[in-house]
Amino acid sequence: MDCREARPLVPGYLDGELSEAQAAPLRKHLLACPGCRSITQAGKTIASWFVDEGPVEIPAGFAARVARRALAGDTGERWAAPLEADGDLGLRGFVLQLTAVAAALVIALSIGFRTMSLPRTDDLRADDFSLESALEALDEMNREPLGEPSTSKADESPELTEADEEGRRE
Amino acid sequence: MEQAPELDASLVREVLAGNQASFQLLVERYQARLFGLTRHYTRNAVEIEDIVQDTFLKAYSRLPSFQHQSSFYTWLYRIATNTILDFLKRKGRSPIHAVEDPEAATLEAPGQGIVRPDARLEREEIVEITHEVLRELPEIFRTVLIMREFEDLAYQEIADTLGISIGTVESRLFRARARFKQKLIQMYPDFAQA
Ligand SMILES: [Zn+2]
Repeated sequence: MDCREARPLVPGYLDGELSEAQAAPLRKHLLACPGCRSITQAGKTIASWFVDEGPVEIPAGFAARVARRALAGDTGERWAAPLEADGDLGLRGFVLQLTAVAAALVIALSIGFRTMSLPRTDDLRADDFSLESALEALDEMNREPLGEPSTSKADESPELTEADEEGRRE
Repeated sequence: MEQAPELDASLVREVLAGNQASFQLLVERYQARLFGLTRHYTRNAVEIEDIVQDTFLKAYSRLPSFQHQSSFYTWLYRIATNTILDFLKRKGRSPIHAVEDPEAATLEAPGQGIVRPDARLEREEIVEITHEVLRELPEIFRTVLIMREFEDLAYQEIADTLGISIGTVESRLFRARARFKQKLIQMYPDFAQA
């Protein structure tokens, strides 16, 4: 294995994603090659910034409370009610958004309209499919003038179709 | 992400058969993990509780559609991620926080290195800085970093959760890490490798 073959494998190696058949020759190369070894070391550094935060504090009685609400018919969809299906709730949320801060009127409107046009997420299939578009919508909303690197479109558009198919398979 | 799938499957069956207590058991089994997951996306305790609660409520109401094709937690994790992203979207995550400076996009190559934090900082400080940097990243990058670096998900699990290919996970993770380093250096030049 030479450096040209080794380097693309390094991230997968660090993430434990290589098969033994891929990892063994890479390890051998790393032993012999200081350049690739230092790249591997650098790759490990980032993980050291993602430290475990320690145990979470769960509010007392949380599980019982959730179970009670579930039994009472609360579906947890408060944020996802589309106007046509649940005009009351959706509209109220919308109006609240508008009146909260008068200065935010235009922003609230645009958020509201984006929201309405998103697919309703009411089953697992919808979940699978909408997650990626939810991410994109978020980034679209926060889009900086320059946008993503030019590779992103070419690199990601085929996967939307694939996600679609995966969604249908399930 | 697998964890005693047989137990989960039988709890799910019990809930569907009308045993409500089993649902509370499912909540108890996974509440800590979902609180842990959600706090990577928001630091506000009230928001975290609301999001985790809604996640479980959605899971309950959609339980009849759970096909046992993935583990219960994988399924729940997907609902959680969706709920979190939906919440952030409604909240209109501040554009200011997501703005990237124009030079940033040209520095995509993982050129500049960063140093390890542990020698100089307390754990809480590292956590704070890392989340501060994450908040500045586009959502598509932040999400894969949280899934991989904090949640320790395998590429396949990330791919399944987001409905993207493994190849996209790899390339996105690569760019996300480069961006994280770059943003960290920008915000805290002290951590650039000399
Ligand atoms: Zn080499």
